[in-house]
Amino acid sequence: MNTKEPYIIISNMSYRYSDAKHYALEELNFTIDKGEFVVILGEHLAGKSTFCQILNGVIPNFKGGEMKGSVIVGGLNTQEVSVAEMAQKVGMVLQDPAVQLFTTKVINEVAFGPENLCLNVDEILERVRWALQVVGLAGFEERSPTSLSGGQQQRLVIAAALAMWPEVLVLDEPTSQLDPIGTIEIFSLVQELNKKYNMTIVIATHASEEAAQFADRILILHQHRLIAQGAPQEIYQNTKLLEQVNIPSPQVSRLATYLEERSLRFPEFPITIEQARKGIEQLVRRSENCGLQPSKRRA
Amino acid sequence: MRASAIKAESLSYVYQPHSVIALDEVSFEVGKGEFVAIIGQNGAGKTTLLENIAGLLKPTRGKVLVEDLDTNQCTVAELSMRVGLVLQNPDQQLFTQTVEEEIAFGPRNLKLHDSEVASCVEEVIAKLDLGRFRQEFPLALSIGDRARVVIASVLAMQPHIILLDEPTMGQDYRGRRQTMDIARQLHQEGHTIVIATHHMDLVAEYSRRVIVLCQGKILLDDTPAVVFSQPEVLLRTHIAPPQITQLTQSLPPSLGFSRDALTVVELGEEVLDKVNRRESITKKQKPRKLEIQADLPKQIPRKEYPNKRSVL
Amino acid sequence: MSALIECYPGQSLFHRLDPRAKIVFLLLFTTVIFIIQHIYLVVAVLLIVIALWGIARLPLRSLGGYFKMLSGILVFLFVVQATLYPGKVILIGPIIPSSVPLIGGKGNITEEGILFGFFITARLLTMILILPLVSMTTPIDRLTLGLVRLGLPYQLAYITTTALNQVAVLKAEAGVIMDAQRLRAFSTFEKGNPVAKMKAYPLLVTPLVIGAMHRAQLVAIAMESRGFGAKGERVYIEDIAMKPSDWVFIALSVLCCLAVLLANFLS
Repeated sequence: MNTKEPYIIISNMSYRYSDAKHYALEELNFTIDKGEFVVILGEHLAGKSTFCQILNGVIPNFKGGEMKGSVIVGGLNTQEVSVAEMAQKVGMVLQDPAVQLFTTKVINEVAFGPENLCLNVDEILERVRWALQVVGLAGFEERSPTSLSGGQQQRLVIAAALAMWPEVLVLDEPTSQLDPIGTIEIFSLVQELNKKYNMTIVIATHASEEAAQFADRILILHQHRLIAQGAPQEIYQNTKLLEQVNIPSPQVSRLATYLEERSLRFPEFPITIEQARKGIEQLVRRSENCGLQPSKRRA
Repeated sequence: MRASAIKAESLSYVYQPHSVIALDEVSFEVGKGEFVAIIGQNGAGKTTLLENIAGLLKPTRGKVLVEDLDTNQCTVAELSMRVGLVLQNPDQQLFTQTVEEEIAFGPRNLKLHDSEVASCVEEVIAKLDLGRFRQEFPLALSIGDRARVVIASVLAMQPHIILLDEPTMGQDYRGRRQTMDIARQLHQEGHTIVIATHHMDLVAEYSRRVIVLCQGKILLDDTPAVVFSQPEVLLRTHIAPPQITQLTQSLPPSLGFSRDALTVVELGEEVLDKVNRRESITKKQKPRKLEIQADLPKQIPRKEYPNKRSVL
Repeated sequence: MSALIECYPGQSLFHRLDPRAKIVFLLLFTTVIFIIQHIYLVVAVLLIVIALWGIARLPLRSLGGYFKMLSGILVFLFVVQATLYPGKVILIGPIIPSSVPLIGGKGNITEEGILFGFFITARLLTMILILPLVSMTTPIDRLTLGLVRLGLPYQLAYITTTALNQVAVLKAEAGVIMDAQRLRAFSTFEKGNPVAKMKAYPLLVTPLVIGAMHRAQLVAIAMESRGFGAKGERVYIEDIAMKPSDWVFIALSVLCCLAVLLANFLS
């Protein structure tokens, strides 16, 4: 699944919006491998949206400002290449479906990007058909985008991004406006893209439970800097850190912390329901077969 | 019998021109001082319901009574003194140049005396800790602060009932907590709170009653514990119970866990109980102490929950 | 809140016209409206436009929203023109008493002034009605395509139709903002007098404009991210073709305009 070759390389990158006093992002240095599923966590104004926009070149090409260091995506330097060209490597999905839908029919929406790229009609239609099928909206071609539900609209936006045949999909809080099942649908879809098409995924989100379940790696932005990164297991175990940066852990992790404070430790720190279930079963059964392991007693 | 704050009687609402049925014969009653959460998929009718209660929309059929007043017979202004509605997007609810002016806007429109307006404003600013933003331009504040200013502005009209439509959307963890804590504070002060939201963990923790909407109809209307113990029903309206409840529902029934633990603390206590009790049976060490602990009612630090849960 | 407002769907003759025919109609009539000087001709054009509304089966009640917002401006314009027009037949004496320095004694409401006021207002009204006639019966992407096939570069065409679309978007946004104001017991936009409405415009305009700017930025980012502005000859998966009925409509529009212009310059 993960071919372990760096696809996104960020070196000593700092960015300041024009007319801004402080840097919106400071001294970022890391790489993202091809096929990785990365989740960006951070409280409000930590820099998540800015970060998403530097990945496809909107920053600095569209928004101006001052950028130091470099951002290389798939061999292309975002400061040297137009946003339109970057758009063929990096697809972007924003929070509000309403601002990302420009046409009156689903098929036109998905075709919008390839049309801009001046491909021939047959190729465009082929991409459109593929994209709609991948996101599960095949058959919706003639529908109007505004008649779709929130979740369907976001899937349509993803299809429109996919039609550009990107290698990376960047999603900036794509599920904030969706209901719980809609949220899971989007994350599952994105995971499928990741596993089936080896698409690199970068999602900025507040949905910690989904992050824990789907991410290969979590990056934490705090006050414009990258202050931690690691596998979800590591990150969510670091409750002190998460508290400092105002990021919630999944409830199951908080359960583990609660029990640990009362001297009862899970065999393995859980970050998903499945892990927690196994853990609880083990704890209860272990306490039944007392004596197998030195169980922690309540003080 | 509790006085009635809101009463919907076969409320139906149809949007023209496409004849979309948003609410279909909805009937329920909210007593004074309740804390109700309304959940359901996007498009289930939550916003439409709240707008009907506030009088912004008038029922197509049926009626809504707010403190025994028929909304059909009242103007929105008249209702605004009894029921306040905070809409989803703060940016559409901020009109003036300073926070102070914004908060004073409502009371002024109610034609109160300047001194009364001033005291309303001061009270709300103190309550919601907005003192340092007094002269700030409301639309330039951060999202969490903008949301707070809107709540303050609605609160300044001193309604008894406060409706909040997805007040936690788009906010980070701290923002969500702050908003819900404000709601809780207002509830403790005696306001009736009705809140539509997608954050089930917050629903489980803060609300005492949950109404589940699906395609304009009420699917469930009960305590969070009862509602979240029916995940199959909730699925129909694209809702999943809070993760902790899902966890407890995934545990094998043979372990004897309840199917409706709502918070981390609740399930944590259950786990501790189970682990310790089993230990006390087999180990027979300090049984007295453990027995006493086993006899204690569940340590639920949520003071506001009225429902007593039985110890397993 | 969608950034894209649906046009009013329908199958009327007007709906089915090629976007190019409608654009030509729009340009012709808008130009004519600005040229003609006689109020009865303006009224004639206004009636034609209203008739077309009927043919397209568009609901006149959808104009209600526009009027709520604009009635303040319309009345203001009327009053300004009525009082400042240098007419001869004075109906009501100066509204500014002569004791006021500099502008005292001015502001006679004359018969000519009132007629001129009507003329200006009727012209504005007709303009306001022609635009939705086209925008509500044509999906926005077809309109863009129409402009492109008429020779406009794609980006320019897109910007034009988006600007047009903004009218409908802003109308919907204004509706929500006014709802929020009603919730705070503010109903000037429904019940207030025109002067009060004028005074209240900043309360509507501030959130409207800021919201629009914010949205515009997000839309721009979304569009750039889908290659908008890429170099080359843009491709379209759907194309438009002129039918005989389209040519007939254009011919009728031209004839109509010529007739009105003739009447204007002959009288």
